[in-house]
Amino acid sequence: MAPALVIAQKDLRQRIRDRSAIILGVVAPLVIAALMSLAFKGTETIHLTLGVVDSDHGPAAAGLVEALHGPGLKDLVTVVSETSPHAASDAVQTGRAGAAMVIPAGFSASIGGSHPLPLTTLTNVNNTLAAEITSSIAQSFVAQINADRLSVATAVAGGEAPASASAALATAHLSLPVQAVQQAFGAKELKTISYYGPSMAIFFLLFTISFTSRSFFVDRDQGMLERMLAAPVHPLSVLLGKVLSAFVFGVVSLGIIVAVTTYAFGADWGNPLAAGLLSLAMVLAVTATTALVIGVARTQRQAEGISSFVVFGLALLGGNFVFVSVTPPIMQRLALLTPNGWALRGYTDLATTGGGLAIVAVPIVAILVYTLAVAAAATALAPRALRP
Amino acid sequence: MSLLAIMGVSVRRVLRDRLSLFFIVILPILVILIIGASVRGFSTFRVGVVEDGSGASGRQLTATLSSTPGMEVRQYATAGALEAAVRRSVVQAGLVLPTGMDQAVQGHDEIDVGLVAEPANPTQQAAATAVQSVLARYAGQVQAARFTTEQVGGEFGTSMALAGHLSASVPAVAVVSRQAGTQLTSLPEGFSYSAPTMLVLFVFLNSLAGSAVIIANRRLGMYDRMLAGPVRSGTVIAGEALGFVTIALAQAVLIIAIGAVVFGVSWGNPLAAAALVGVWALVGAGAGMLAGTLFSTPEQATAVGPALGIAFAMLGGCMWPLSIVGPTMRTVGHFTPQAWAVDAWTRLLSQHGTVASIAPQLLVLGAFAASFLALAAWRLRRRLA
Repeated sequence: MAPALVIAQKDLRQRIRDRSAIILGVVAPLVIAALMSLAFKGTETIHLTLGVVDSDHGPAAAGLVEALHGPGLKDLVTVVSETSPHAASDAVQTGRAGAAMVIPAGFSASIGGSHPLPLTTLTNVNNTLAAEITSSIAQSFVAQINADRLSVATAVAGGEAPASASAALATAHLSLPVQAVQQAFGAKELKTISYYGPSMAIFFLLFTISFTSRSFFVDRDQGMLERMLAAPVHPLSVLLGKVLSAFVFGVVSLGIIVAVTTYAFGADWGNPLAAGLLSLAMVLAVTATTALVIGVARTQRQAEGISSFVVFGLALLGGNFVFVSVTPPIMQRLALLTPNGWALRGYTDLATTGGGLAIVAVPIVAILVYTLAVAAAATALAPRALRP
Repeated sequence: MSLLAIMGVSVRRVLRDRLSLFFIVILPILVILIIGASVRGFSTFRVGVVEDGSGASGRQLTATLSSTPGMEVRQYATAGALEAAVRRSVVQAGLVLPTGMDQAVQGHDEIDVGLVAEPANPTQQAAATAVQSVLARYAGQVQAARFTTEQVGGEFGTSMALAGHLSASVPAVAVVSRQAGTQLTSLPEGFSYSAPTMLVLFVFLNSLAGSAVIIANRRLGMYDRMLAGPVRSGTVIAGEALGFVTIALAQAVLIIAIGAVVFGVSWGNPLAAAALVGVWALVGAGAGMLAGTLFSTPEQATAVGPALGIAFAMLGGCMWPLSIVGPTMRTVGHFTPQAWAVDAWTRLLSQHGTVASIAPQLLVLGAFAASFLALAAWRLRRRLA
């Protein structure tokens, strides 16, 4: 065991002296997570400035404006009164308003007649989300009016006399029979930094695989391995020393990133014990993968090639490049074939539920299963790599 | 002659190395594929539905949701699975349809449909608003069918079908959408977004990583040996630069070809696109050579290069459109050449731009390229002297 520690110590010292290790392990993930957090600061929440032109001044228009100020839309929409359709159009074009709604003159009077006037929404092609929200609000508002009109038309088509259908409707005071009942379920919002903090930390942690496996072959090519094996050192200690340095490096770099993203950028890593164990499992997975790459590769060049494939393959599949939740369902399933995909799911669940160990039990077990399988393969292949 | 020989050596070294081919071709294509398939979220709401036990009426409502433009519907087996999906932002809102909805719609009572969304979360609230408007349209048909069955008698199903049929033709209070702003200021979604931005990202990143070659050459004393022959230092520098440009151009052309053939990306005005690719290759070459004179070990080049390349790409709008970030971040972004290149691609792909309309971007990029190359040549010449 002692020789492994000495080798690990020497490796760590070497890596810290070459500043590239600090850049990859600490600076780069922090800078990139910070950039992402800054970029998405305003977009994490949707807020719509809606221009409204009331040329009607009737009861229906008043009802619509009142609905826009209602409790359901209060936090989502800021209503700005515009004087004319032209002014509203200008506001939308310049981006002062995300979208606008025009209530035409005579709207209230027309909705009972046979030729109801339409509500017009003014939208910008660069703000499709605002366009959809505005159109949804308008649709919801006219839904009851339209339901009543449809009721009469359907009854008439079914054989009722138009006059009696209208009379029946007037006395029935119908209201839309299917209603949405909003269920809050106590989930916390997933902040961008709470996803990309862990995501970037893991992405750059994966580079440990490249660095460590490469350094093993550099040592071997320089005859270091032969010299070490000439000493009373078990061959496996050499490999153990290498991967131990990768493990320590991973733990320290993750720890620094957790601390900085939490205190400087307000990232939420969730329950400390659960997040710690999840991180530890992830570092173990990276360490085992490093050992496997050393076992499979025969030369330094091969180690670089294989580790590049592994690093970028895992990062792409696991969701370190794009927010995995927005990817197609097949990608979300593929992500769960990677340890980093499980880790990211664990961090996401910790941040959104506020839960503890129970939440990350499945991700941790999944990562450990991967780690054990990879470690077993690495142990089987190691003697070949360690043959001088 | 020696100029071409030096360039040839650099290019051959890259082509022989299968690992660099992975970074030049395979990785960009994979990233274009994944980002292209994912970046559609800026304009669609993803909505989850649990329709367990709700019967034919539940299926009808789900079909109405699915056919609504701008809405993508995913099915979940249980309310718990749906809640987890909303929590993880896989969907932004969800509907839990009641068991026995088929019987309930035929009755007289109000039907409650569970809407899963956090009131405090505006994104989920926006999606909930969209879902509610579809639900209201469906509820209108149920109301009409109930009313008709009551007035005229007969089967509820017949009335419901009649209401569904009439809903398209009965004059209703319409909501008409008019475009006030029609000039698209960001790249189109999907592969037309990911292909040009990843071209910008990877040509630059790859050139930075290529700086490792210059560092290795310096350390191996390659340049000293070259200069021992009848070769001037200017020729060595020009040869190296030409090698960088050739590789960058080859990579850009490959990405454009694969983008057009496999992903169906239309790259806009060919002349303007060619000019842009040419200038961008020069920017990449300049940055790569400059990095080669700044870093001291190949390890630093392979560690700092990608991190710097990704950070610049983020600032410059390659990973997300700069139209969604705040004004400060947009200004900061335009200190990187990437932002100008993405702006130019936006004009070409979204606004039918020509050489004339991207002239300002080409000029700025040209200035970037010239200063990178001049600085790199000056530093390299000092080292060679």
